[in-house]
Amino acid sequence: MEPSLFSKPRDLFIDIVNPKDYVQIDSVSHMYQSLKTSVQKPLKMILLYGRPGTGKSMLLHKLHHDLSKHQKVCMIDIPIIDENDFLRVLAHKIYSYASRESLSLTNFLELSTAVNYPVTPIVLLDEAQLYSPSLMEKIRLISDARALKFVITLHKTDNEDIIAKEHFQTRIWESIELENASYEELKIYIQKKLLKANCFDVANMINDKNIKLITKLTRGNYRESNKLMFALFSLYTWYEEHYPSKIKYNALNTKWIEMAAIHTGLIRA
Amino acid sequence: MLDVSKLEKRWLKYKIKKILPYGLLLTAIVTLGILIPSYLFDNPVTVSPASQKKERMQAKPALAIATVNNEEAMILEPSMNFIESMTPASIPTAEATANPPVISNKSRLIPNVIPAISPIVQEPKIQPPVMPKVQPVVKGKSTSITRDDAAFDIHELEERFKNNSNPNLGLYIARYHYDHGNYTESYNYALKTNAISSTMEESWLIFAKSLVKLGKEDQAKKTLQLYISNSNSQSAKNYLDTLNKEPSR
Ligand SMILES: Nc1ncnc2c1ncn2[C@@H]1O[C@H](COP(=O)(O)OP(=O)(O)O)[C@@H](O)[C@H]1O
Ligand SMILES: [Mg+2]
Repeated sequence: MEPSLFSKPRDLFIDIVNPKDYVQIDSVSHMYQSLKTSVQKPLKMILLYGRPGTGKSMLLHKLHHDLSKHQKVCMIDIPIIDENDFLRVLAHKIYSYASRESLSLTNFLELSTAVNYPVTPIVLLDEAQLYSPSLMEKIRLISDARALKFVITLHKTDNEDIIAKEHFQTRIWESIELENASYEELKIYIQKKLLKANCFDVANMINDKNIKLITKLTRGNYRESNKLMFALFSLYTWYEEHYPSKIKYNALNTKWIEMAAIHTGLIRA
Repeated sequence: MLDVSKLEKRWLKYKIKKILPYGLLLTAIVTLGILIPSYLFDNPVTVSPASQKKERMQAKPALAIATVNNEEAMILEPSMNFIESMTPASIPTAEATANPPVISNKSRLIPNVIPAISPIVQEPKIQPPVMPKVQPVVKGKSTSITRDDAAFDIHELEERFKNNSNPNLGLYIARYHYDHGNYTESYNYALKTNAISSTMEESWLIFAKSLVKLGKEDQAKKTLQLYISNSNSQSAKNYLDTLNKEPSR
């Protein structure tokens, strides 16, 4: 069977975080650069925050990918909620210290002086809103002792950043807020993703009116946009199979965009 | 994974709903245009103090009109405020001339009226992700579905999930299975995903929806209640409401 024109673009929008898929968007690259600079400074902690789907995990993974070539970096993308586990995993990952016993904070700090890396290792913590206040306190003590540097991502929720207020505000040296994409940014995001994968024909189909509608529906949220595009290209593969004559190659079909939005729940119908 | 014909029907419904308010508005304008003159000349005494109204309109012109019209639209019974704003040309009252920029401009008035009237018919609004009410595709219904599956290897993703336990991936797999009607699988993956990250709304919804599909509606409701008490999730509330209203959805 002939390969579908739309299955590849569709799969580009599966909602997975992989630094290899990182797309350069001006504002995001800017933040990324300042993040990279901050990480080199003798800072305590760096906070990346924003609503779900604004690209926090992506930025963190990208940082991990880029830094790990040059220095000790440890990514904890699934929060380790248990406090004992947390220190043990860090000790293992950073100082290759294997222990079945739980580790006290003092032990941990001793370990860090004993190993003494020339450059302070960096720990990347995704989804930090899941950590308990007392664990956050330990993290702060570790960074205050300059044993490790932490870059932390935090969901900004509507009931507001309780953790952020209590534990970061005064202590964080730098915080970077990620936001939903503007129309221009979303346009770049979608186009670059397609072009990177050599889906030129499909990229050419997308006009400004299409992007406007997509931005309106997803409010520029990357995750919502991914879901919408995935559903949209799934529809295209279906029509390609069943009613190829219905496909117009000069623009994306507004009706199908809306159908995709209904499917993903962005439009209630 | 997509029931396209069903989706097309839902789209049509959505479009009709969206256009309906404008149709009603037009009807309302026409009807009022006919009713107003007679009403006005029959009941000149019922007109409320003009000066008072004038102040209100001058202070906050757009808002005042919008609210006033809204009330009118709800009651669907003509009153002076509405009349004045709708028919400035035909009724050259002192008031109308006193406030020309506000009420004498019909084209400017319309945009104010539309949002005010729409609540009656409940124009659908864009909402944060809500339960996709899509029915799982009946297996074997279309050949494209099988081909799509081949292009995208779910087992590979499952393997990857085993290694990285990424909740986003877990959710993706759960969603995938749900869309394919494998409700036991979607249940399992949503469960795993929730264990890794307890804050993923969609995963909880898929978990609950899978339970419903597996005939365990009570358990689904309990799960939703639990999740709502922790998260205040609107989508979960909506879904729970639907379940309570129309069982075995
Ligand atoms: N700069 C980017 N380049 C490529 N993909 C991105 C970028 N930013 C976000 N995404 C994609 O958008 C989706 C949501 O991003 P994610 O980092 O998971 O958001 P968050 O962690 O803030 O919830 C992911 O699928 C991610 O791959
Ligand atoms: Mg994330």
